[in-house]
Amino acid sequence: MKKLLATMLCAVMVVASFAGCGKAADNNTQAPANTEAGTSVEASADVSGDALTPAQQAIADRKAKAAETGKYEKVVVSFFDWTGAPAGIERVNSKLSAYTEETLGVDVELLIIDVAAYTEDLKLMLSSGEQVDLFSTCGPGYMTCVNNGYTADLEENGLLATYGAKLNDVVRADYFDACRVGGVLYGVPPIKDYAIQTAAVCIGTEYLEGAGVDLAKFSKDDLGYYKCTWDDVDEMFAAMHAAFPDKTVYSTQDNMLTQGSCVDNIGGDYYGTLLDPANSLEVSNVYESDMFKEWCDRFYRWNQAGYISGDALTDTNGASARIKSGAFMAMMACGKPAYENQISGECGRPMTVFDVGEPFMSSSAVSSFPWCLNQNSEDPIAAMQVLEALYTDPVVANLACWGEEGVEYVVNDDTTINWAPGVDSNNSEYYPNVLWLMPNQYAAHVWEGDPVDVGEQTAKFNDNCPVKSKALGFTWDNSDYAAEFTALQNAYKEFSGKVIYGFVDPETGLKELNDALYAAGLKEYMAAKQEALNAWAGK
Amino acid sequence: MKVKAESKKSLKKRIIRYIPLYVMALPGLIYLFINNYMPLPGLVLAFKKYNAKKGIFGSNNVGFKNFKYLFATKDAFIITRNTILYNLVFIIVNTVLAVFVAILLAEMTSKLKKVYQIIILLPFMISMVIVSYLVFGFLSNDNGYLNNTVMAALGKDPVQWYMEKKYWPFILTFVNAWKVIGYNCIIYLSTILGIDRGIYESASIDGAGKWMQIRKITIPLLRPTVIMMTLLAIGRIFYSDFGLFYQVPQNQGALFAVTNTIDTYVYRGLLELGDMSMSSAAGLYQSLVGFIFILTANLIVRKFEPESALF
Repeated sequence: MKKLLATMLCAVMVVASFAGCGKAADNNTQAPANTEAGTSVEASADVSGDALTPAQQAIADRKAKAAETGKYEKVVVSFFDWTGAPAGIERVNSKLSAYTEETLGVDVELLIIDVAAYTEDLKLMLSSGEQVDLFSTCGPGYMTCVNNGYTADLEENGLLATYGAKLNDVVRADYFDACRVGGVLYGVPPIKDYAIQTAAVCIGTEYLEGAGVDLAKFSKDDLGYYKCTWDDVDEMFAAMHAAFPDKTVYSTQDNMLTQGSCVDNIGGDYYGTLLDPANSLEVSNVYESDMFKEWCDRFYRWNQAGYISGDALTDTNGASARIKSGAFMAMMACGKPAYENQISGECGRPMTVFDVGEPFMSSSAVSSFPWCLNQNSEDPIAAMQVLEALYTDPVVANLACWGEEGVEYVVNDDTTINWAPGVDSNNSEYYPNVLWLMPNQYAAHVWEGDPVDVGEQTAKFNDNCPVKSKALGFTWDNSDYAAEFTALQNAYKEFSGKVIYGFVDPETGLKELNDALYAAGLKEYMAAKQEALNAWAGK
Repeated sequence: MKVKAESKKSLKKRIIRYIPLYVMALPGLIYLFINNYMPLPGLVLAFKKYNAKKGIFGSNNVGFKNFKYLFATKDAFIITRNTILYNLVFIIVNTVLAVFVAILLAEMTSKLKKVYQIIILLPFMISMVIVSYLVFGFLSNDNGYLNNTVMAALGKDPVQWYMEKKYWPFILTFVNAWKVIGYNCIIYLSTILGIDRGIYESASIDGAGKWMQIRKITIPLLRPTVIMMTLLAIGRIFYSDFGLFYQVPQNQGALFAVTNTIDTYVYRGLLELGDMSMSSAAGLYQSLVGFIFILTANLIVRKFEPESALF
């Protein structure tokens, strides 16, 4: 019996090792292809002086190779959407490839994964060697990808300068710099609003009318939203609560600091923050600040007044999804150009936006989820050229953002677009609805109702932001403080919910929270952050 | 010489005779090998700082640094205590209840027996995510059955269930028992049905009542099965049912002190950090301690009741 078992185990092991060999053999066949590409590039660099630039030469080489083998090499681009691979993804990919075969000599495959699975799937693909060349770090996080070594140095051997030169036209040098980690550029930021208009209170227009709120008394801010104070908000909430007693007034989410304040969460978390980021690089504990106390007092008042759901702690639905359901009336987010359209879409009803905060650009605003190139990519040059096209080529950008013209959308006379006849957000075969993470949404068409020059408006909004963090571009690897970080995270989750949603008196709730944070090692964590920040500022 | 040759021959014969059984076991063995043995070399990851560029074996060695976060904080005590105590309680409560239910079902002569069995088994088939919403249906603050109907009928004030730690050890034990008893009792039930009916008949001729039969026949004959099941459970004492501790309390921070176990702690920590090496370290730690536990428990059993020991 034992002998037989042993023989069987041996047999299985032999089979397994053969399987391993098969894989190794695969790798070997791939390797020459790689070096071949490398040498041909070098060769092309030599002749570049005559007619073709290295970039054009690389495209010509790929086309020549495709003519020989009858198959174009493929670049895989991965990002997430809300519902998983769209039904029309193959059609869009073939349209996209048909175009890029002409312009770049490659096939492009958009690999869209649903948001819940994206982080895990992407990590598996990156560590297992499955093909993915370009990916959005929205999900796994930029620093995680850099720390795990998934990302390639974009400037190695002049990759970006030679093959992605046009990126410099659309991404400013200081935004590139904000994505450097230890001086090395691993990612290109998506072009979007980096600045935020903090504390945009969004209220269903129908509820405002029902409660008889007079909007005429408010002036408008630069973005066209009603400027008001928290006292005004209190007043409106009281009127709404009285007019709609069976609806919950405020749809909560833990975003008072991220979207409602100008506190800079340097290093990517709020354990040690810059309270006055425009002027000072002093790391302090935001949970002891007057500003945070004010938020908690406000929510305590609202909770006492019955504006907040008793299930706020357990309800994991998004704030806008709850408003869409019709049981909630108001929420807070952060504003930007053309935000009213976006939030109205998310909430499924016309929303009115009130600007209660101020504009702010945090240290991580630019570098929160850049696009990266897989260090394992077989042909970084092709990948870089595809990345450049995603940022600069309207045809590529339109296909990636909106799908196929005439099928998913139609173009109006003023170049804005709308649904094709019979298509809407529910039955569209390609509607990722993640414009904000796309490389360059402004290279594509603008949706009807948004200003045609929304790209310029956003760029201006970013440039004109008066409160820019002094730590813009600071990144921090906290993996040496993983123990403290995990403990802090647990302490925060354990003691924050009650106090930030106003279920306990802030006096006692905040003390509890801070005691727990300090017991979890907040002091050491903050000191490490301060040290890293000082070192960064010294450079 | 002759004897040896004969035994050899018989061994050969035996192998030939049992070939069908070996073939039947083969897929399972292959599965076991691929799933449980082939990844073993990957354990070195627990002692490295993983870097995709360098690969698993090429990454830098960092010694025991990855284990630090499991022990460095005060949470280490809480999560270890929770994991072990909950598992101990589950082992005891579930065994007692499962044996009880198995005996009830075995003694039952009603035609509805099969129906009862299916109803008891049903919760085991339900995903923990759905269970968590069933529980939420009872405990929700605004719309929950307990707060709106039961507490109101009793004339008591509603309770903020998801903020009160003290109830959760009972809620979790109850939910766990409700969910797994149906499955556990199948094994006990089949053991009981395998007991020779003749023993019961002669006992009843000798004047033993039902209660006496259960006490003197059923339970003693169930003992080896109970010991085996308990040993298996002890081997997993350092693991917790992730769904039960994460989904059922709705990942509620206020309840961490009584719901955080090693698995949920590692999940929460690493979800944020995304660090493969630390996940491996946590996994290695759990399996090592589980290994030691099961060896010790088996040793003790072997000392007192050798025939019931696993190995």
